[in-house]
Amino acid sequence: MLLRNVFTKTVRDLRWPTFWIALGMGAMTAYFAILFPTYSKILDVQSLMAKMGPLAKLFGASGDMNTLTGFLHLELFSMILPALMVVLTAGIGSGFTAGEESRGTIDVLLSYPVSRRRIVLEKSLAVFLACIVAASITWLCGVVGAAISSSALPADKLAAACVMLVLLSLAFGSIALAISAATGNRGASIGVAVGLLVVSYLIDGLANIVDGLNSIRWISPFKYYMAGDPLRNGISLGDAAVLAGITAVFLIVSLIAFDRRDLAS
Amino acid sequence: MTAAIETHKLTKWYGQKSRGIIDVDLVVETGQIFGFLGPNGAGKSTTIRLLFDLIRPTSGSAQVLGLDIHHDRLAIDRRVSYVPGELSLYGDLTGRQLLTYLGNLQGSVDADYREKLIQRLDLDTRKRIKSLSRGNKQKVGLVAAFMIRPELLILDEPTAGLDPFIQLEFEHLCEEARSEGRTVFISSHQLPEVEHLCDRVGIIREGRLLAVESIAALKERALRRLEIDFGGPVKAEAFANLPGVRDLTVEGAVLKCTVMGSLDALVKAAARFEVRSLRSIDTSLEEIFLAYYGAGDGTSADAQAGKEASHAAA
Repeated sequence: MLLRNVFTKTVRDLRWPTFWIALGMGAMTAYFAILFPTYSKILDVQSLMAKMGPLAKLFGASGDMNTLTGFLHLELFSMILPALMVVLTAGIGSGFTAGEESRGTIDVLLSYPVSRRRIVLEKSLAVFLACIVAASITWLCGVVGAAISSSALPADKLAAACVMLVLLSLAFGSIALAISAATGNRGASIGVAVGLLVVSYLIDGLANIVDGLNSIRWISPFKYYMAGDPLRNGISLGDAAVLAGITAVFLIVSLIAFDRRDLAS
Repeated sequence: MTAAIETHKLTKWYGQKSRGIIDVDLVVETGQIFGFLGPNGAGKSTTIRLLFDLIRPTSGSAQVLGLDIHHDRLAIDRRVSYVPGELSLYGDLTGRQLLTYLGNLQGSVDADYREKLIQRLDLDTRKRIKSLSRGNKQKVGLVAAFMIRPELLILDEPTAGLDPFIQLEFEHLCEEARSEGRTVFISSHQLPEVEHLCDRVGIIREGRLLAVESIAALKERALRRLEIDFGGPVKAEAFANLPGVRDLTVEGAVLKCTVMGSLDALVKAAARFEVRSLRSIDTSLEEIFLAYYGAGDGTSADAQAGKEASHAAA
């Protein structure tokens, strides 16, 4: 059944990586949501952050650390979850055209009635689905965990943060896809995408404490993910549109680049 | 009737590297088994990958089944099969799963025919492809190619790694395809492997198509090895620079050489002396083939090197 077409075949290829990453994300979210009351009793995180001063902002601290919302924002959504999701989209998902090319399977695949564009689109759709699955499991674990510990964690706000997480990882995934589609070089594609994630994370974090960086903060995709603090404020449509726009642009670049190029033998 | 394959000045230029092809004009008629011959690196795979639009020509054009290789891509893919030279398949799938996947991409496959092919090529479809030997992998590729009953099969070095029994079965499959009016295009660097199978062969070397001939015509133009015994010692100079004569050696009263095409010049030159006997030894197509290779400079060393290369590659 999963061998019907390129989309389902890619879903099949991604099922285990998606499972493990979703499991990791979900487990961490549930862990913090369940243990948060214990944490906040033992450890006054808010005053700890106050002691750290501006450095706390570097890590993306915002809002009240004595609420589960503020705690999750700092502990998970500011770095670990985006990193894991980008590993999924860039590392695994978008190595696929380059992966098929370097393994040589693309020759056989393209000799069947499937166009190059269709391959890129169907594979992208599969990665999109993998993101949704991973984000949904994360959301579910957060909601259930908060209910177990009777902590306040609005389900709609958590959903908003998960949606933004999906959009951010798709943006970096599409950058990796574009490089992979244009060059056929899987290593470069993952390297550049992860490198850009780190740089954009640093720009956005450092801009909190280094004034000079504020003027270039807008170039960091991370700003559109973090600045609106979706876990507290819900989705900012403007920010979401920017991230979706980045994805759309790089997806189109990928389609064109992959369609025009000589494929490696 | 439209040709199965037709190229017009098809050129792929990779700069100074010699791996491209230059001005290839090739016509493959339908209903034939066509051998595309040349040493490794001559441009066989480049030509085939151009026909599948995997790489794009620098200049020139090509049609497959009368359809443009780029603009009518999907229409061609529905009617043509391809087994690449360096066949690489999804290693994590079993043979059965791969055939299912490729069949689904194709649309519809005659399941009975597929099962017959699996039996005939003696393929174990339960094993994961990554655990298969080269020959068994090749069998998966061949089943995948034949199962859709394509109008044109393009097979890049298809017999590599096959054991003799399976190779024979493969040849039957090609002949069956031909008897149904379908076309088979086989590339190879070894003429003996395909000479009894092919109707026509094209010879490519260093990116240029040197000749396209029917096997019959190629044999007619056969390169003959001659030995002439004279009544007394003769001088090699008397036979120097005769058209078509090569590899000339004279030892005392015995002359040995190979002649391509007409024997006229050599016979007339020999007639000036007393000819006691004249022996003609039929040459294999391999030698004819190598004679084309040597056409550039005509040295036997070159032909010999080519021969060794082709054996080494086998």
